[in-house]
Amino acid sequence: MNKLKVIVILMTMLFLSVSLFSYSWGAGEEEILVGNIQDMSAGTAIWGQNDTNGILLAAEEINARGGILGKKIKVITYDTKGNPTEAINAYNRLVDLDKVVAVLGPPTSNVGIPLAPIAERKKVPVIGDFMDERATTHSRGVWNFMFLTEPSCSEQAEIAASYALKELKLSKFAVIYNKANSYSVKMAIPFMAYVIKHGGEILITETYLFGDTEFRAQCTKIKNASPEAVFVPGYVKDNALIAKQLRGIGVDVPIIGNNSWYVPLIELAGPAANNTYFPNNMATDIPRFQEFMKLYEKRFGMEPLIHACMGYDNMNILAEAIKKAGKLDPIAIKDAIEQTDHVGVTGRIKFNPQTHRPDRMPLVMLKIENEEFVTLEEYLPPLD
Amino acid sequence: MCRESCLYPFILRRGVKAGLLLRNVKKELEVFLQQLLNGLSCGGVYALMAVGFGLIYNVLKFSNFSHGGVMLIGCYTAYFAFKIFHSSLFLTLLFGAISGGLCAVIFEKLAIIPLRKRNAPKIYFFVNSINGGLLSEYLIVATVGVFFHTFPDFLGTTNINIGQISFSKLNLTMLIISLITLFGLMWYLYKTKYGRAIRAVACDINTTSLMGVDVNRVISLTFFVSGLLGGLCGVFLGINYTIYPQLGKLIVKGWMASVIGGLGSLLGPVLGGILLGVLETFLTAYIGSSFTPILEFIILLMFLLIRPQGIAGVIVEEKA
Repeated sequence: MNKLKVIVILMTMLFLSVSLFSYSWGAGEEEILVGNIQDMSAGTAIWGQNDTNGILLAAEEINARGGILGKKIKVITYDTKGNPTEAINAYNRLVDLDKVVAVLGPPTSNVGIPLAPIAERKKVPVIGDFMDERATTHSRGVWNFMFLTEPSCSEQAEIAASYALKELKLSKFAVIYNKANSYSVKMAIPFMAYVIKHGGEILITETYLFGDTEFRAQCTKIKNASPEAVFVPGYVKDNALIAKQLRGIGVDVPIIGNNSWYVPLIELAGPAANNTYFPNNMATDIPRFQEFMKLYEKRFGMEPLIHACMGYDNMNILAEAIKKAGKLDPIAIKDAIEQTDHVGVTGRIKFNPQTHRPDRMPLVMLKIENEEFVTLEEYLPPLD
Repeated sequence: MCRESCLYPFILRRGVKAGLLLRNVKKELEVFLQQLLNGLSCGGVYALMAVGFGLIYNVLKFSNFSHGGVMLIGCYTAYFAFKIFHSSLFLTLLFGAISGGLCAVIFEKLAIIPLRKRNAPKIYFFVNSINGGLLSEYLIVATVGVFFHTFPDFLGTTNINIGQISFSKLNLTMLIISLITLFGLMWYLYKTKYGRAIRAVACDINTTSLMGVDVNRVISLTFFVSGLLGGLCGVFLGINYTIYPQLGKLIVKGWMASVIGGLGSLLGPVLGGILLGVLETFLTAYIGSSFTPILEFIILLMFLLIRPQGIAGVIVEEKA
């Protein structure tokens, strides 16, 4: 019996020493550890994988140039499976165990919002593309450790609404959005508010939930209301299905979309996608994007989605901030991120210190015509 | 004379009002019919799903959630067959059906036969079938990846319009194919020797085996037939809702349809599927999308409590 005890104790000690040794080895002083939390395997995994690829591409470039402060960047990626709880666990693990200096976040608001108060407590900054305003500000001010690197939901919705009202001269709208998705809700409500404030009309509002695939009941009601355009701010698969089913029951009016109407939407919806206008962070005929596309295709052998550009920009913003901070202290890095003025693939990113979001960043308006994306113009709603 | 001329505008006004009312009624009726059509086309696919699901239930008396995985694999195989051979709609459906059938048989050989040999409790079958469904989802995520795919518009995007009511040609074709398949299945089960064997095993597995029927073969056959339906259904779902790894989760609708319709018979799931499709469409249209799932599950609960045998009324115990 005693022998057994000794063996167990020895084994435990061996195990502990090995794990401690490998742990301290992993966190060697030669590397800067950066966390990355993305959905790598569930419903929004296309975005997560693209975002991660963009981050890796930027990190590799930085390392090839000799790293920052003489150290190489190492990205530690954890899968959130699109689930906020998993995302919070991943953030805690990155901060407590891996001791990362900053975390690059996912392009999903459902993850960004619950993460904000936790980042505030743990004091390690998160840079990401959670467009819902609640991920970066709360009722009494700003979440100090959260940064959004693209126009927020309401800004995007206002860009879409203003373009439809002022450039396309449409005024009667129907809206169909995902009631369970904060991103979709936060696009639909500012869109409706903007339209009503500027003399337009909302004829009908329809909703659906995550995982729904049948929208024909809602589409039939929209058809019955005979709007001049339909606003559809959902995730890409829902957008494609709604387009197909709207056209399938004979609604041929223009569709106004959000920035989830880009690739692979046309492949999914086919001709049903035609006659759609939407704002996007990117368009293929803009030179800075073409350069990025070449780099990305060379490295990964496929076309990038916009999320790859976002990941790439986020990594570069972080690298600049670390350089500016001059030390690997998360709070100093957070202060340096606030000073960012970075021209990336998606445009010029300069944070408003009150909101930690880039103010009045224009988006590119695109149109889908003959099953192709046509770039219209970079657009910002007129100030009023 | 004066009196009449005074009344005239009044009558005219009433006439206009009645006309408006009539026009509104006509419009409402058209919307109603459109919704009914939407519900039917949705219900046709649910019915197909529920029948494949119900077949296994009839024979082995457990809810086979691996049917979702079978649909998924059928759909992906059909997609790749299409990519390689540029097959037509019917050929693609055939690929989907056959691969679904094979997939179901493989699942039976790997996960069901060992349990049957050990005479394991039904709950093990049930749990194993859920495993099968999840396994196939993660298999697809790991091998094919998470990117969405689509079938092309096999029949173009033409709509059939009757007045204000429109219906896509593809949906109509799918509804017709579903009906033909269901009639074919009925014929197979009631008019052929093997069909009779399946029904005999469904009725009483032990007696049938005592009568000299090779029960193991009949069960494999049932899995194959159920897999054929599953694969076919998978392709339909892929055409309607794009191809993605979580497609198999739609089996929950098939399960609901078979509970509403009654698992014991063949007609039950068909009725249940169509009813569920129509119900879902009307609930979404008139009550809204957020309350629809709640009401659906309440209706399901009521069926299980008040009429567990479903609409068709064949009493089967143990609805696991």
